[in-house]
Amino acid sequence: MIFHPSILALLGSSWLATAVLLASAVFAMRLLASWDRASGSERQIRLERATILVSTAVGLVLALEAASLILFVFNADRMSALFVGAMCAVGTLNASVYGFATLYAKIAVFFASALWLVLDRVDGEGRDFPLIRLKYAALLAVAPIVALEAGLETAYFLDLKADTITSCCGKLFEDGPQSSGAGGELAALEPRPALWLLFGGAAVVVLGGLVAGRSRVFQIAQGVFGGAMFVVGLAAIVSVVSLYVYEQPHHHCPFCLLKREYDHFGFALYLPLFLGAAAALASGMLGVVPRRASLAVAQPAIAARLARLSALGFALFALACLWVIWRSNLLLFG
Amino acid sequence: MTSASLASRPRGSTLAALSTCGLVLALGALIAAALLARPATEARRESGRALARELGLTDPALFGEARYTRHPSQADLASAFQDAPTGLDHFPAGSLVAAPRGFGTGHIGGGEE
Amino acid sequence: MGARFERQRHLLDFAVASLARRPAKNLGLTLVYALVVFLLGSVMLFGSAIRREAGVMLADAPEIVAQSMVMGRHDLATGADLEALKGLRGIRRVEPRLWGYLWDSAGAANYTVMVPSPSDAAHALASGEAIVGEGVARARKLAVGKPFFLVSPAGKFLRTRIKAILPQASALVSSDLVLVAEADFRSFFAIPADRYTDFAIEVANPREVSTIAEKASVRLPTYRFVTRADMHRTLEALFSWREGLALALLAASLLAFVILAFDKASGLSAEERREIGILKAIGWETSDVIRMKLWEGTAISGTAFLAGLLAAWVHVFFFSAGLFEPVLKGWSTLWPRFPLSPEVDALEIATLALLTVVPYTAAVVVPIWKTAVTDPDAVMR
Repeated sequence: MIFHPSILALLGSSWLATAVLLASAVFAMRLLASWDRASGSERQIRLERATILVSTAVGLVLALEAASLILFVFNADRMSALFVGAMCAVGTLNASVYGFATLYAKIAVFFASALWLVLDRVDGEGRDFPLIRLKYAALLAVAPIVALEAGLETAYFLDLKADTITSCCGKLFEDGPQSSGAGGELAALEPRPALWLLFGGAAVVVLGGLVAGRSRVFQIAQGVFGGAMFVVGLAAIVSVVSLYVYEQPHHHCPFCLLKREYDHFGFALYLPLFLGAAAALASGMLGVVPRRASLAVAQPAIAARLARLSALGFALFALACLWVIWRSNLLLFG
Repeated sequence: MTSASLASRPRGSTLAALSTCGLVLALGALIAAALLARPATEARRESGRALARELGLTDPALFGEARYTRHPSQADLASAFQDAPTGLDHFPAGSLVAAPRGFGTGHIGGGEE
Repeated sequence: MGARFERQRHLLDFAVASLARRPAKNLGLTLVYALVVFLLGSVMLFGSAIRREAGVMLADAPEIVAQSMVMGRHDLATGADLEALKGLRGIRRVEPRLWGYLWDSAGAANYTVMVPSPSDAAHALASGEAIVGEGVARARKLAVGKPFFLVSPAGKFLRTRIKAILPQASALVSSDLVLVAEADFRSFFAIPADRYTDFAIEVANPREVSTIAEKASVRLPTYRFVTRADMHRTLEALFSWREGLALALLAASLLAFVILAFDKASGLSAEERREIGILKAIGWETSDVIRMKLWEGTAISGTAFLAGLLAAWVHVFFFSAGLFEPVLKGWSTLWPRFPLSPEVDALEIATLALLTVVPYTAAVVVPIWKTAVTDPDAVMR
């Protein structure tokens, strides 16, 4: 294991989150078993009080998890100096079998937390705990993901050893014959269709986000398209946007973008993309969730606001892509 | 408390915002100073780098007590107790400088891409 | 938007007023908090600054250093091996180097005595001349033109005159250096003519460093080859390890602080309880009280974090981490006086925040909730 402040901070926050969520999950089971809004019993009052603590604590740790996703990638990039052959975060993540698994788990936690937080927020708008069962059932689903993430992260950092020989991003994301895996396939995507997909998809989700306030169907559609756009956006970054950033026709790495050499430009792409996707998914979720009387006004309003937020996120993402293509010295199309 | 004293006293949020702004500004001033001093810093580092290049220096000259603290990257690999029998560590810097590890095979430092 | 903002603003007003009603307690907590941030922040800023500084200065270290090994210890390299290395394809130049350590009882310090490369015109020395590092000059009170004597372990004298003192800017890598002419070095340490300390190898194509080191180790199996990448990883590991160790030690103080914060947050005075009770009696909701209390925490955290970071910055970059110096120096009499230059690193600041603000928040959440759910009639009675 490598003794490093950022690693200590990441592990500490992951285990804190796990502890909070496991405790909350135990509480959730109790709540699901004995929640009775009509009852005025001592136990019901205790449960109602405890929900406030759970909402506050889980809200705080899930926000922490979102921050730790950024820190994790940033730290992986920084640690690449310690590994033979690593040039960016890819090398660090590849230095152990748990590396990419941890990253994916962290992304899953990010989206799960965003959705849960929205659910919690909406529930708080109604006076009669309208979504309480759904919320705590969902918490039971989120807790294992967070625990899994903490476990993977711990395994990853324990497994990391300085001087491990690892592979550089060139091996994973090069469109040459030596590339391997999904990264290579994404990289092999032709630039022209990738650009069409990127800007076509962005136009759909931006427009969709603006009109989603009109009906639940639009909100659900925004959720579906937003999720798809997230995948399209990542694919487009690998296959074509990265080329414009590096101004090299064959370097496809989606992680080198985050480096200082490229002005941390990756953050301008990923932050709005993740924000847009999370907001779109949340809006879709609110479209699906059955409407209770006490939320007749709040739920559609929040869903519409989230959809607009997702439109903003995707629009910023598309603008960042456009800007880098316009500014780049690389000409892919004559 | 009279209404006059209420009106003359700034709101708590204003005070909080002001003190935060003050601290952020002070921090910003330090950062700005660092950015302004950058050319001088670069020049200083460049002169150190040039000297290290000319003389072929390999390690920082921080701890001069022992060979393995003065030149950690050049220290003996295999000679335990190199400075005294059973002498695991007898310099305070030994708690700060780990024995060199991870040179791989001991012949060359693994492959370099 | 406006209404919601106003609402939060009023909550913040309340939070500040509530903090101000107990100035001693909250000021004390903020000070301790800031002190924790200051300590952790100083360690982190100092660690990364020195790592960066050394990393830049040693960026052009020799591509490969070849050391002769006998029974696991360094031995002198021979002229025959030099010729053997020179014949290898891919090697542009092999520079035989002469350097060693000398315990100087007058300065009570170890020097690194070194012969500058013949290709290095800036430090060319005639016999009887010496160039010394800033630390040596300080320890022996030397100035340019002054005489400088060294006594070898065999009792032999070396009489030199100071030709120059290496600039302070490079002290981090050169503080303990004594540069002398080759003839002086050989006679002083009694090194025969075709023996060297080690070889610095320059390769034609930097991408082939590892291949060449491998080929060379086949040619000279008793040699150890240290590549530039090895040196950089050693440097990186050295400082990261040191920094992690210091932080682990500070974890104890962090824990103490967390307990203090928890204690302060849960031990409410009767007066505070009454306040909460009154607020709830006049219609505040539990969630409002929690939000107000969270604002209090935010105000304390924000102030303490910024103040601590500010103090750490000033400590490290304006006072060269003076508080750590006795610890770091150890027995090192030639501790270099080197300036550290700040660089803004978001990862570092984020890590520092994670290491300090998160534990504090975790410590106060449960007490805040306990306070907020108290029944008004239970406390007003």
